[in-house]
Amino acid sequence: MAELTQNEKRLLATLVKEHKADAPHLATLLDTTPESIVQWAHLLEDKGLVSLERIVDKSFVYTDEGKEYLNHGLPETQLLKFCRNTTPLDELRKHAAFRIGFGQLRKKGLISVHNGMVSRTDGASTIEDETALKTPLAGGQRTNELIRRGILQEKESVRNSVTIKPEGLALAQQGLDMREETGTLTRDQILSGAWKTLNLRRYDATKLPKKVYPGKIHPYQRIIAEMREILLEMGFEELYGGIVQQSFWNFDALFQPQDHPAREMQDTFYLRETLPLPPGYEKVKAMHESGGETSSTGWGGVWTEEKAEQCVLRTHTTSVSIQHLAKNPNPPVKAFCIGRVYRRETIDTTHLAEFEQLEGIVMDEGVTFGNLLGILREFYHRMGFEGVRFKPSYYPYTEPSLDAEVFVEGIGWIEMGGAGVFREEVTAPLGINYPVLAWGLGVSRIAMLRLGLKDLRYLHRSDVAFLRETPALRPAKGGI
Amino acid sequence: MAIITLPYKYLERLTRTDKKTILDKVALIGSDVERIEEDHADVEFFPDRPDLFSPEGVARAMRGFLGIETGLPAYPVKPSGISFSVDPDLANIRPVLGAAVIRGVKFDDESIQSIMSLQESLHWAVGRGRSKVAIGIHDLDTVKPPFRYIASPRSRKFIPLDYTEEMTMDEILERHPKGRDYARIVRDFPLFPLIVDKDDHVLSFPPIINGERTRVTIDTKNILLDTTGTDKRAVGVAVNIICTAMAEAGAKIESIGIGGVQTPTLAPSERTVSVKECSRLLGIELTPVQMAELLGRMRFGAEPAGAAQVKVRVPCYRADVMHDWDIFEDVAIAYGYDKIMDPPPATFTVGKPHPVQVYAALAREAFCGLGYLEVMPFTLTSEEILYKKMRRPEREGVLHVMHPISIDNTVVRTDLLPLLLEFLTLNRHREIPQRLFTVGDVVDSCHTYQQAAGVSTHMDADFSEAYAAADAVLHELSIASTVKESEDPAFIGGRRADIMVNGNRIGIFGEIHPAVLNAFELEHPVAAFEFDLRAVPGYPEL
Repeated sequence: MAELTQNEKRLLATLVKEHKADAPHLATLLDTTPESIVQWAHLLEDKGLVSLERIVDKSFVYTDEGKEYLNHGLPETQLLKFCRNTTPLDELRKHAAFRIGFGQLRKKGLISVHNGMVSRTDGASTIEDETALKTPLAGGQRTNELIRRGILQEKESVRNSVTIKPEGLALAQQGLDMREETGTLTRDQILSGAWKTLNLRRYDATKLPKKVYPGKIHPYQRIIAEMREILLEMGFEELYGGIVQQSFWNFDALFQPQDHPAREMQDTFYLRETLPLPPGYEKVKAMHESGGETSSTGWGGVWTEEKAEQCVLRTHTTSVSIQHLAKNPNPPVKAFCIGRVYRRETIDTTHLAEFEQLEGIVMDEGVTFGNLLGILREFYHRMGFEGVRFKPSYYPYTEPSLDAEVFVEGIGWIEMGGAGVFREEVTAPLGINYPVLAWGLGVSRIAMLRLGLKDLRYLHRSDVAFLRETPALRPAKGGI
Repeated sequence: MAIITLPYKYLERLTRTDKKTILDKVALIGSDVERIEEDHADVEFFPDRPDLFSPEGVARAMRGFLGIETGLPAYPVKPSGISFSVDPDLANIRPVLGAAVIRGVKFDDESIQSIMSLQESLHWAVGRGRSKVAIGIHDLDTVKPPFRYIASPRSRKFIPLDYTEEMTMDEILERHPKGRDYARIVRDFPLFPLIVDKDDHVLSFPPIINGERTRVTIDTKNILLDTTGTDKRAVGVAVNIICTAMAEAGAKIESIGIGGVQTPTLAPSERTVSVKECSRLLGIELTPVQMAELLGRMRFGAEPAGAAQVKVRVPCYRADVMHDWDIFEDVAIAYGYDKIMDPPPATFTVGKPHPVQVYAALAREAFCGLGYLEVMPFTLTSEEILYKKMRRPEREGVLHVMHPISIDNTVVRTDLLPLLLEFLTLNRHREIPQRLFTVGDVVDSCHTYQQAAGVSTHMDADFSEAYAAADAVLHELSIASTVKESEDPAFIGGRRADIMVNGNRIGIFGEIHPAVLNAFELEHPVAAFEFDLRAVPGYPEL
C-alpha cells in the first residue's frame, strides 16, 4: 500500500462519513477548493481506495436576443400574429420583426407568397418553437435550432462525485495517522528539536522529479583526456604548438619534396602569410637536392626558399614535434602532442577539414623499430584494445613505416594510425644524431567508434541533448 | 592513391600460385585490399612503390615474398639499332627523353587495360600529373625510325588520338579534352614538344596527346615507348617500370640510342650496406647470410660481403631506394613486422603535462562547476559568423585561407563567442536554460593562443548573471582583474564591461545585443563572456 499524504487521509476520513459526495460539498467540509478535492481523489483512486465519477450537467442560458424573445415572442410568432389571411407583402415589411420573422416563416412553410400577397397556410403555428424557448431542456431538435440562431447557449458543467470503495473503508478502519504533515524541514525545527514529533511528508520514490543536467566536459574531450593520461603515465612530455605553421616545418623539414602531391593547393590550406626561414635551413635544402652528407640521394631538382616560407594550417602535429626535437637534440626525448590539424577535404560524414591528431615521439640512444612496435602495443593495450597488429606502410618522413590495426569485436581489424622511424634525411640536417620513433593516430576515429556516431561533424556541431545524455563514464569493452 | 586491379587468372598465371595465397599475404608487402570481386581484386599500393602498379609487378614481388622465385630478376636488353635525337631547343621546355622498344607483345583486352592503367598511375605518382614525366606508347610498325624529339612551331598540324581531323597544336590545347586538362604544362612556351618519325609523321605531342597514327590495338606486336619530362631520374624510373612489367608479361626489351647512349639498360644499381646498422635500426639480430636471404625474398640481388656487410643489387624499377634505410625496411618486411616482439624503450622518463593544457583543464573545471556544458566548435568559420552577425569590425589579425572549400570555412577563428552563439542557434529546439562553454585555440595572425568563453540563455539571462559567472571563473584561475565600461557592439550598451588586467583588455562580459540575437535567430536573452587565458598568472610564453 502506497503512502497517503495528509490531504488524502483527510479526504478518506471524510468519505467514511459521507460515503458518496460531490467535490464542492467535500471542499466545503474540508475547507479547500473543489479542484484540490479532485486532485486528492485522483491520487486515492490510483491507489484503489475511492472511485471518482465525472458527471456532466447540461443547462441553457439566454442570450440578450433570447431574453428579448422570451418576453415578446420569437420574431416569427410576432409576424404571424400580424399576418391576416392574406396580407400585402409591403405591409408586412413595415413590421419590426419582418427581417428575421419573414425568413423563418417561409423556411418553416407557415406562409406562402403570390403576386405580392402573403397568405398563412392552414393551421400555421409557432407554438412548439415558443415552448422550446421556454423549456429548452425538453426542446430536442428545436432547441438546437435556437442555439444555432444565437438565441440560446448551451452550458456544460462538470461535477465530480467521489465514492469510497470497500478497500478505502477497510484502510480507514485500521486507523489513519491524522497528525499535521511537514513538507520542508525548517532551521527552527532542526535547532529546537521540534523535528522529533514532526510527521515529515513522505515522497513517492518511483516518481522522477524534473530532470537537472550537470555541467560537464564534452565526451570527445574526455577521450582526448584519457589518451593524454595514458601518455603521461607512460612518461611522455606534452607539447603544445601553433595551428599556423611554416611550410618549412610542416613539410620541408620532414623531407616532403616540394612537388609532393600532399603539398598541392587542393590538399592543404595555404595562407598568404610568410615567415622567415630558421637559421641552418640550408642543410635541409642540401638534403632535398642531393642527400646532404648521408647515404641518401635526396630528391634531386631545385628546392626553393619561397615555397618553404609560406604558411599553412598544419596538416599534422609532426610540425610541432620536429621543432621540439630540433630545439632539444639531446636524448632522451619522449614527447606527445594532441591537437587540431587541417586537410583540405570535402566535408562529409567521415571526413572533416579539421580533426584532432595524436602524435608521439621517442628519441634516444639505441632505440629501435622493434621498440616502436613495443610502444604501440603498450599504448593500444592501455586504450583497451586486446589485439594489435602491424603492416608495412608509407610515409615520406619515416623508414621503416607501418600502419597499426586493432581488433574490435563485431567489426574486425580497424586501421588506427601510422608510425615509423624518422628518416635520416629528416634528422641529420637538424643535428639530431639518435633514432626518432614516431607514431600518430586520428583521435576522432576512436571517438566515433566509442560514441557510436554515424557523422563526425556531430563532435563539433553537437546536439545539446546528446551531450546531456552521454554519461561521463561509458564502460568501454575491448577499447570501444 | 593508386588502386590496382588484379585479375585473378592473370595474376595466378604470373605468380604461379593460387589467388587465396596471394590475397592473404599481399597486405604484408605494403598494401590495402580495397575490394574482393568475383574475377578480380582491387588493391591499393603506396606512392613510393610505383613498380607495384601493375599485375606483373605485383606478381614479381609476391613470387619473391612467397619464396617461389627469389633474388634479382634478370632483364636482358639488346640494341634495337634505332636512334632517337633530342632537339637542343627543348632544353628549357622539356629536355629529358627516355625510350625503348618492346617486341613480341601479345595483347588481349586485359593486358592492354593493365598497361594503360600502369601508364596512368605512373603519370600520377611519378609524373606529378604529367608535368615531371609523361609516357607515350606507340605501335612501332606504323612509323619508321629514326625518331626525332623536337621543339615545334605551335601551328604544326596532326590528327590527335580519338579524332579524325587534323588540328594545330594550339587547337589541341583548346579543343581536345586532354589538351584542356594539361595545357597548363606547356601553354607558356613559344615552341611545343613534338615527336616525329623519319617521314615527319607525328607520334606524339608530349605531355598532351599521342597521334592517332600510332594507336596501340589488340593486334599490336611491337611497341615504341617514349617518356619525356623535366627530371632525368623520374623519367628513367618510369621507363624501367614499364619495360620490366612488359618483360614480366613475356615481351623482349630493346634499347634505343639517344645522343649516342643506349637506353634503357635495366641494370641494377649497387649499394653495400652494414648489417650492424640494419640490426640497430630494426632491433633484430641478423647475420649477413640471413639478411641476404631476406633481401632475396624482396627481389634484391644480395650476397654477404665479409662478416659485417651485404652487397645489394637494387632492381632498376625500385624508385624508392634512396638511402640504406630503404633497404633495411625491406629486411623488416621480409622478416615480418608481427614477429618483432620488442618491449617499449627502457630509459626512465617522467610524464609532464604542458601548462597550456593544465590551465585549460582548470578553466573547464570552473565552467563545469557553474553548470556549463562543454562544446567543441570548429576552428574554421566565416566572416559572417565572426564579425557580421556580431556587429563587430573584422579583426586585423584574422587569417583567410587561400582556397576555402566553402563559404562557411573561409577564416580561422579569432574569437569563441560567435561560435557559441551559433551553437545556441543549432540547439534552439532544446530545453532551456542552456549554459555552454568552450576552451580552445584562436589565432591572431600567425600566432595561436587559447581563450575561454561561456554563454547562458534562458528567460532571465542578464548582465548580472554574466558578471557573476565571469567573476567566478576568473577567480578560480587567480586572474586579478578590474572592469571598465565596454564599447563592444555585440553587447547592449550599459550592460557590457571589459575585463582589464594591468591596463590591458583581456576579455568581455555582458548581455548580448538584441540585433545580434536576431542575426543568430535566438529568442531568449543571452548572458555571455570570453577572456584570454594568457592572463592566467604563470601562463607560459608561446
